[in-house]
Amino acid sequence: MGGQVVRALDNVDVEIEEGTFTVVMGPSGSGKSTLLYLLGGLDRATSGEISIEGERLDQMDENALALFRRRTMGFVFQSFNLIPSMDALENVGFPMQFAGTNAKQRKIRAQELLAQVGLENRADHRPSELSGGQQQRVAIARALVNAPKLILADEPTGNLDTSSGSAVMRVLSDLHKAGRTVLVVTHDPRMTHFATHRIYLLDGRVVGEAEYESAALEALQIE
Amino acid sequence: MKFFDLLRLVAGNLTRRKARVALTAVGVVIGTAAVVVLVSLASGLRQSASEQLYGIGDLTLIQVSPSYGGEGMYMGGGGAISSPSDVKLLTNSALEDFRAIPGVESVIPREYLMSSALIKFQKLEMYPNIIGIGTNDVADLGDTTDRGSTELGRGSIVIGVTVPQSFYDPNLRPGKEPPPPPDLFNQQVQMVVFKYDSEGHETRKNIALRVTGVLKETRGESDWAIYMPLEQVKLLNEWSQNRRFNYNKDGYSMAIVKVTDANQAMEVADQITAMGFQAYTPQSFLEGINNFFIILQVIFGGVGAIALLVAAIGIANTMAMSILERTREIGLMKAVGATNRDVLAIFLGEAAGIGFLGGLGGIAVGWLASQAINILASIYMANQAGQQGSGLPSVAAVIPLWLPVFALVFSTLVGMLSGLYPALRAATMVPVLALKYE
Ligand SMILES: Nc1ncnc2c1ncn2[C@@H]1O[C@H](COP(=O)(O)OP(=O)(O)O)[C@@H](O)[C@H]1O
Ligand SMILES: [Mg+2]
Repeated sequence: MGGQVVRALDNVDVEIEEGTFTVVMGPSGSGKSTLLYLLGGLDRATSGEISIEGERLDQMDENALALFRRRTMGFVFQSFNLIPSMDALENVGFPMQFAGTNAKQRKIRAQELLAQVGLENRADHRPSELSGGQQQRVAIARALVNAPKLILADEPTGNLDTSSGSAVMRVLSDLHKAGRTVLVVTHDPRMTHFATHRIYLLDGRVVGEAEYESAALEALQIE
Repeated sequence: MKFFDLLRLVAGNLTRRKARVALTAVGVVIGTAAVVVLVSLASGLRQSASEQLYGIGDLTLIQVSPSYGGEGMYMGGGGAISSPSDVKLLTNSALEDFRAIPGVESVIPREYLMSSALIKFQKLEMYPNIIGIGTNDVADLGDTTDRGSTELGRGSIVIGVTVPQSFYDPNLRPGKEPPPPPDLFNQQVQMVVFKYDSEGHETRKNIALRVTGVLKETRGESDWAIYMPLEQVKLLNEWSQNRRFNYNKDGYSMAIVKVTDANQAMEVADQITAMGFQAYTPQSFLEGINNFFIILQVIFGGVGAIALLVAAIGIANTMAMSILERTREIGLMKAVGATNRDVLAIFLGEAAGIGFLGGLGGIAVGWLASQAINILASIYMANQAGQQGSGLPSVAAVIPLWLPVFALVFSTLVGMLSGLYPALRAATMVPVLALKYE
């Protein structure tokens, strides 16, 4: 579009260790989502390397990426992205269809995960019959369904009020405590309480905490 | 992705947009119904035509007529227009040439009575269709008798099965029941042959004839014919026309060439045509009828196909809209591990599903319409039969077994093909862009 070259991410070098809870902080437009989608194999970088457990995502074809996502990753989005015509149970079990799991096992697994996020008595509710916080917990259960190593969440509390947001944060924190690797993109500072690691982004660059804080202060003074 | 899961997912996706799916499928319903009705009409017409053609004649017989050149216009009085080289007369030597063609069993000349005649039996009369044949056995024409013999002798005739129905009572008083057709077998009948001179004076000749055979029904020309020895017809023609006929010079008005094997009839007919004569076989007629109905089916099927094409555009449009609306859903599917093939299968399945549903509806509507046509046709036929007698076709539209199967497969394929482009676009969407789509 036009001649303007946008560098959403530039010269970013990050490493995320297994079993960590990483929070990516940054103002709007700083490239947080781009980083998350690149790590999740949903977007491709024009240059650079991305590897997860030694596998090079940037060298995989579409099909291999799809299979890799299926095995390794669970996504949580700001806008939940539940399928409106399916109830909570069906939404949670949906990804397992692509893995070829049979209907009975799908149901058992989905019920188990709904219980884990505290929604066992909402299994037959459609998304329209659930609150925002409940929908996001259904989405988290869906992200867990194929037992992924890595959970990637893009502003999971962005559309939620404070208390539902806290509930979602606790669920993510519990996952981390249970041994999963969690990466959350947010500009909600409360999330940092749960984090083991933090990455600060400014205009597509990774910066240190000090630089980030002073930039945030500057932004406040302008307002 | 398991096939059954795919089916369930597709069915679920279709039922969540019932109104739109139904509206789109209406196009397919119309197209499929058109194909079903039109093809069944063509099949029905073909079937009733074959029914009527049953007994069109013996397939081993070739009718040969002389050629008078040009457009084959015969100017009467034995004269001919156009140059003599174009003229091919059925002389005895020409008949010998026919006999020499391999596969020909016999060649029988035939002659019509050239004057008006009347046959009387008791109080009844009829106008006969007298055919003189150059053999003393009607069996040579492939005919067999119900009663009596096929052999002809001087003063004897062999008649077709429906000839008695032509008799009427000239003195029947109005309002009285017409008499039943007479049983003529072994009966003596009187034939009266008329001749008029230049002043219009009438001369009559009475001949007594005995019916020595009644032919089996052929549903062909024989049913109405009265066969007589050729020599006798020749004598009557010479008397009524006041001239002598020399078959070596003037030729016969027609010859029947009988082949040993019906499969050779076309070939022999072609050879006779190549010799300059006009040859005609029942096969050539049947072939023409068949071609006609094949063309009819193609045209009718084509009309339906155009309707289906319009329906296909409708499906493509609906699928494109649906995919646009569900862009984020596609992104989500990819995020949770759907491959491009999974996405393609889901959307192709939905398009095929619309085609399939439309096909089902179209077969039902088409079947109902065919039944309605048959009911209307049978009412019309019943009215016509009152005026014309039997022999009219019983059905107008026939649905062959293959048609519904074909229609269903075809409409499903139409759905799939129309959905192909939108589904491919869905499958190849970049996940991140699909997820960000507003
Ligand atoms: N598809 C795209 N094409 C061009 N520019 C994009 C695209 N997606 C994002 N960007 C740009 O990249 C930068 C980072 O975007 P994003 O990662 O969405 O930021 P954040 O999630 O931190 O708000 C922004 O300047 C945005 O305008
Ligand atoms: Mg973002």
